[in-house]
Amino acid sequence: MFRLLIQELKFRLNTTLWWSVGLSFLPLVYIGIYPSVAEEMANLADLEIYRAMGMNLGTFPDWVGSILVIFLPLVAAIYAILNGTGTLAGEEEDGRLEMLVTLPLARWQIVTAKALALSLSILTILLIVSLGSMGVMTSIQDQIDTDLTGIELFTAVLSTYPLVFSMAMLSIFLASFCANRRFASLIAAAVLAVSYFGSNLAESTKVLEPFEPFFLFTYVDASGKAVVEGQQTGDLLVLMITGVVAFLLSLVFFQRRRLTVGMWPWQRSKVPR
Amino acid sequence: MSNQVIETRALTVYYGKHRGIFDVDLSVEKGEVFGFLGPNGAGKTTTQRVLLDVFPPTSGKASIFGMDCQKQGVELRKRIGYLPGELALYANMRAHEFFKMYEYLRGENGSKGYWKELAARLDLDTSRKISQFSRGNKQKVGVVAAFMNRPDLLILDEPTGGLDPLVQRTVLEMVREVKADGRTVFFSSHILSEVQAVCDRVGIIREGQLVATQKVEEMIAQRINRMTMIFEELPVEGIFNIRGVSELERGEKSITLEVTENLPEVLTIAAQNKIMDIETHNLGLEEIFLAYYSKDGGEHV
Repeated sequence: MFRLLIQELKFRLNTTLWWSVGLSFLPLVYIGIYPSVAEEMANLADLEIYRAMGMNLGTFPDWVGSILVIFLPLVAAIYAILNGTGTLAGEEEDGRLEMLVTLPLARWQIVTAKALALSLSILTILLIVSLGSMGVMTSIQDQIDTDLTGIELFTAVLSTYPLVFSMAMLSIFLASFCANRRFASLIAAAVLAVSYFGSNLAESTKVLEPFEPFFLFTYVDASGKAVVEGQQTGDLLVLMITGVVAFLLSLVFFQRRRLTVGMWPWQRSKVPR
Repeated sequence: MSNQVIETRALTVYYGKHRGIFDVDLSVEKGEVFGFLGPNGAGKTTTQRVLLDVFPPTSGKASIFGMDCQKQGVELRKRIGYLPGELALYANMRAHEFFKMYEYLRGENGSKGYWKELAARLDLDTSRKISQFSRGNKQKVGVVAAFMNRPDLLILDEPTGGLDPLVQRTVLEMVREVKADGRTVFFSSHILSEVQAVCDRVGIIREGQLVATQKVEEMIAQRINRMTMIFEELPVEGIFNIRGVSELERGEKSITLEVTENLPEVLTIAAQNKIMDIETHNLGLEEIFLAYYSKDGGEHV
């Protein structure tokens, strides 16, 4: 399995680097421009539309929380979905998975290697973006009025990892469960969108309150306070456990999957009478 | 000790209307090249995929080297080289990178670097990216990948597809060498000439059912004669209405028959009816194969 993991990491090397570079533009632009918009943003702190989007732009930590802690995992989750569904369902559709499963590898090893590779790839991306954020902040530190340190910013950005990890594992699970990649991607994207809007709207709409625990973004605190003090351990654990459960389910479903046939799990084959 | 390499019992895969395999009983012996014949959609690939545990059978059993294909798949696949019919490769890799990866994933079995020899033999430029390869060159990559660990069993699905005649010949030579080495080949194809050229036995699969398994020479040696007789005057209809004889065509003064038995009786009747000339030829594997796929399913064979 270690050999496959190394191979999967090699496959993802370029993508990981490109996504890291691409996502690093987010802190580069949004932290970089903060000194020039700080005053203006402070006046928009209480706008309802921003609240609905989970945004509060009053102070620098609020700005970081609203832009980076919310949008960064949202965009990174797109990578997780593309890669997570592509790695099993995508390879099954284009035929490469057949070559892989006919090698002397157990199915659980294939899923585990791919899941580990994706998890490490996401961690690398977020580490690079976190370092980038810290670097940008250091360069503008003298232009902004904040107690937030570079290390705190680094930790705040990196703490978005559990959310992206859970989306990645959910995508791998959907790839092992759904009949094809299209369905897997659609469902994963829907989960992401509903989680994002659901958790934000649940704060202002009572109808959604009962569903709040099911929205993954509920477990990400994008407030300035959380940027300074860090995410709650319980929330991080919920997201990590969600990811681990999704991974375990993917092991079960991939083991039972009739590869190359493109069937849902309930379409059990029966011999015609 | 059993000499059987592949064994299936009542192997059935059902995944929808008009598809799958039904009650396939196969037996492939050590050191033989077994031809698995059938047109597209007959169930050749499905059978191979069950053998390689790509998916489990709906019912029945499949074993290779005496080990259950589903329960001991990992152990089995260490000893199997596989060339799928629908070859999909990592397009962004160079061929040599692909082989090294394959070698790395398979683990060491004493055949390290053998791919270089095979690639040279097939005249494959391994420094090029797979995405730049023609279909034939991609097929060569697949062939090398299947042979490169010197497996005890080779499962080849249409191995010469897309290859030029010279390379086809080389691939068939490679298959013969595997056999000479005492290893086994499961050779799936619908190109009958190459099956006839390399296989010891053939199994013919039709609409998911194995309709015949026989040694190639026995199959060809079956007394299936096709003969055209020219008469001075055309005999009355039904004159050859005897067991083992089918009248295929009736011309102005000629009758074409397919004869599987009672040849002396046919000749006697012909002589009594002023036969002027006779042309005969034995059916090759292709015609026998087509006979199995004729409307009556080759019951006369």
